[in-house]
Amino acid sequence: MTNRFTKLASQVALASALFTLSGLASAADPIKIGVSGPFTGGSSSMGVSMRDGVRLAVDEINKSGGVIGRQLQIVERDDEAKNERGVQIAQEMINKEKVAATVGFINSGVALAAQRFYQEAKIPVMNNVATASVITHQFDDQPENYIFRNAAHDSIQAPMMVEEAITRRNFKKVAILADSTNYGQLGRADLEKALELKGIKAVAVEKFNIKDVDMTPQLLKAKAAGAEAVLTYAIGPELAQIANGMTKLGWKVPMVGSWTLSMANFIDNAGPGGEGARMPQTFIQEPTTPKRQSFIIAYLKTFNPKNARIDSPVSAAQGYDSVYLLAAAIKQANSVEGPKIRAALEDLKTPVDGVVTTYNKPFTAKDHDAITANIPVIGEVKGQRVVYAYEADLKKASEVRVKDVNAKGALAIKK
Amino acid sequence: MEILLQLIYSGIALGMIYAVIAFGYQLTFQTSDTLNFGQGDALMLGAMVGLTLVNIGVNYWLMLPLVIVFGLLQGAFVERIGVRPAIKIKSEFGWIMSTIALGIIFKNVAENVWGRDDLKFPSPLPESPLQVFGANVLPMEILVVVGAVLMMLAVEFFNRKTIYGKAVVATFNDRDAAKLMGINTGLVITFSYALSSATAGFAGALIAPLTLTGATMGAVLGLKAFAVAIIGGLTSGLGIIVGGIILGVAETTTGFYISTGYKDVPGLVLLLLVLAFKPSGLFGKTAIKKV
Repeated sequence: MTNRFTKLASQVALASALFTLSGLASAADPIKIGVSGPFTGGSSSMGVSMRDGVRLAVDEINKSGGVIGRQLQIVERDDEAKNERGVQIAQEMINKEKVAATVGFINSGVALAAQRFYQEAKIPVMNNVATASVITHQFDDQPENYIFRNAAHDSIQAPMMVEEAITRRNFKKVAILADSTNYGQLGRADLEKALELKGIKAVAVEKFNIKDVDMTPQLLKAKAAGAEAVLTYAIGPELAQIANGMTKLGWKVPMVGSWTLSMANFIDNAGPGGEGARMPQTFIQEPTTPKRQSFIIAYLKTFNPKNARIDSPVSAAQGYDSVYLLAAAIKQANSVEGPKIRAALEDLKTPVDGVVTTYNKPFTAKDHDAITANIPVIGEVKGQRVVYAYEADLKKASEVRVKDVNAKGALAIKK
Repeated sequence: MEILLQLIYSGIALGMIYAVIAFGYQLTFQTSDTLNFGQGDALMLGAMVGLTLVNIGVNYWLMLPLVIVFGLLQGAFVERIGVRPAIKIKSEFGWIMSTIALGIIFKNVAENVWGRDDLKFPSPLPESPLQVFGANVLPMEILVVVGAVLMMLAVEFFNRKTIYGKAVVATFNDRDAAKLMGINTGLVITFSYALSSATAGFAGALIAPLTLTGATMGAVLGLKAFAVAIIGGLTSGLGIIVGGIILGVAETTTGFYISTGYKDVPGLVLLLLVLAFKPSGLFGKTAIKKV
């Protein structure tokens, strides 16, 4: 009897001890961070590089003890660049995985479709690649906006492309070639606006579908209209078909496009036809600062990409930085609650030393874009990789360009 | 004029790509009244296997027969697994679902084996264009046109002049009578599937240097080829070529003269017209089915 009683008592004691332990353990549970991006399909070179950048940053943070005494744990999901997959994943991340925050989104359409669920659930989203101007302004009418971004949005990229083609290289006639997705068509609208500011109208505006194999009519129209350069808004495989089509027609004019011209699947598939293409870049794979150097070395060592070339250096760098921004906010908030993280992001006290830039007060309550028009540089495809197009930019690359809210060149974003 | 010529050249090259795929639809329809809806995926597998062979150092021209052998095996597999059971129970629609299902399975396998990214297929011919009557053509495009025509001629020759080909034609005309005449119709149908996948695989290896090579390359092409097969007629080899060229040229000229946003429309309008007024296709023989 006594024996039985002591046994029971010890069980109760054990159970209560376990109970308190588990109560304590919840504080030391890993912090879950969602990662949503296309790891397969036409935009996978961006998605995979972004994910690898995120993994690298999370590893580093965990090795140095994690954040607020807890490890970070990433929950990766492949959204296949499909809006409906993005929505499903958002719901899974919020309701099942219960993430503290999500980073990612490569495709603007997916971001716009999925992030409303995070907004409702008050969970911060750090868009690290998707560029549509409207992404950070989708919930401007609500008192709290949970959508942040550390990528160069289209309102910056389109004027940069126009600046490069019209002002710096003095082309008078340009054609616009854009794909028929959200990305291509929103970008085309921004390009037309940016050209209008220079008093120029594109001589031809053409579109094509994903997976189109023949670009002859589009290119012939541009050629017949006397275009001296082609401005592009599309993703890698179709951009490569444009370059190949130009080779075929024996009509070679410079390509100036959005940052996607730096994608490995453009460079590889276009081959010699892709040389000389220029695009805005927030990061070029050159060890111009100690931080960038250590990032490149660590990335190449961990993931060992082909020919020591990161498939999409911009995505990798921005993916990496997005985690550090979030970690800094969680640390400052000393909490994993969405509203507190959001408040901390909008008022980051300590600068975050990232690969793209040093983020000194990157966000405010009204401004959720960390990248301003003064940060990106023009890159060029040369010898099958992306390099600085201008010697002057390379020379000054070691001076980190920091956010300047008064930077000129961005289009005003209308809601 | 030069522009029109260029558009026509590109249209023909594009149309022949569609035609070689559509040819595969015709082959199986001729023997078993069924179609392999996994045709686009057979094309993709051919291109992928070809790319793998080229990457391990096999010469492009040596690779082509190997791809054809692979296609033969793959087609026979599709028929045995997907089509034969449906024919056996005289199911009208079973083969549609099973060939589509097999196509999806092949695509998924390819995604896992080769990844989902679009890859570059090294061109066996120089990539600089040739001038023909003032417009540019890629040597590879000429190869596609020549290769496609040769392949179709070879199959047509086989069907018309050889005893085995006659068995194929007999099976199409009346399967039961052919069986009574001692023709192993089951084997003939298997063979026609093998041949259709072989042509698709060959087409894949042929067009891959022009298009990009990837697990999803077959989807759009397979669908366009289906439209070509309907326009040209599922019973006519000539119809397939003409249908392909019509669709290809319609796409490029509409793209240039009307709008690139509408380039797929005229071809599909033509498809609707053909279905409404001449359902057996522009060159197809009208068959009266007695029930």
